[in-house]
Amino acid sequence: MSTLIMIDQPPYGTWNGREALDMAFSLAAFDQSASLLFTGAGVIWLKRAQDAAGIAQKSVEKNLSAAPIFGIEAILADRSACQRYGLDEASLITGVTLVDANGALLDQYNHTAFAG
Amino acid sequence: MADTSSETFTLVITGAPYSSQAPQTALGFARAATDAGHRIARIFLYGDGVHLASALSAPPSDETHWPKEWAGFLEHHGIPGIACIASALRRGLVNETEQKRYALPGSNLLHPFEIAGLGEWVEGRMMSTRTLYFHAGG
Repeated sequence: MSTLIMIDQPPYGTWNGREALDMAFSLAAFDQSASLLFTGAGVIWLKRAQDAAGIAQKSVEKNLSAAPIFGIEAILADRSACQRYGLDEASLITGVTLVDANGALLDQYNHTAFAG
Repeated sequence: MADTSSETFTLVITGAPYSSQAPQTALGFARAATDAGHRIARIFLYGDGVHLASALSAPPSDETHWPKEWAGFLEHHGIPGIACIASALRRGLVNETEQKRYALPGSNLLHPFEIAGLGEWVEGRMMSTRTLYFHAGG
């Protein structure tokens, strides 16, 4: 069973994305196939060189960089959302695959979920 | 077409009572599903959904007490209701074990809810034909 966990919320205004990441890590920990898809404002998660110290939060970049180590199969980002938020390959963290988040993509997974 | 004559569901609730309709919608679904002869394998409370398992909710008497409604449903049908431990601890929902572990002044987990890890969600998905999510929306 392959699962796509989707994150469509920005990293610091809400806790949903962090809890979605925990869901993906948990699947991987139990040897279940899991990938992450960032869409909408969620693509801001993938911006390189974040500094959240000014709002007394930890940068999510470190959490995300652990994804391959935990066994997350792919980190996907919706191409049009990246364009909308001014993110290109140079401004994204490494290991991100740009995709078109559409029905054909979701069809590749047995299970899709948001954290909230 | 898959055989839908008898499904086994895992329901994930991520919206809190009284700030979202998620627990109410999920209960409506759970009642309809069991009435129709389907099985609910477990309920998993995640994120703000853990507030549903608080024993300290005290809504006005002319409002539905969603934690008690859910607790009664779970008990009647013998369905496990599990609150994610990471979500619960962050939001101040603890059982006696966690109260002792973190030296907290009280515990507030409503019976028959339990506190456990995300592994329960992973397992619930594997033992169910469908897993449904009830979010706050918005």
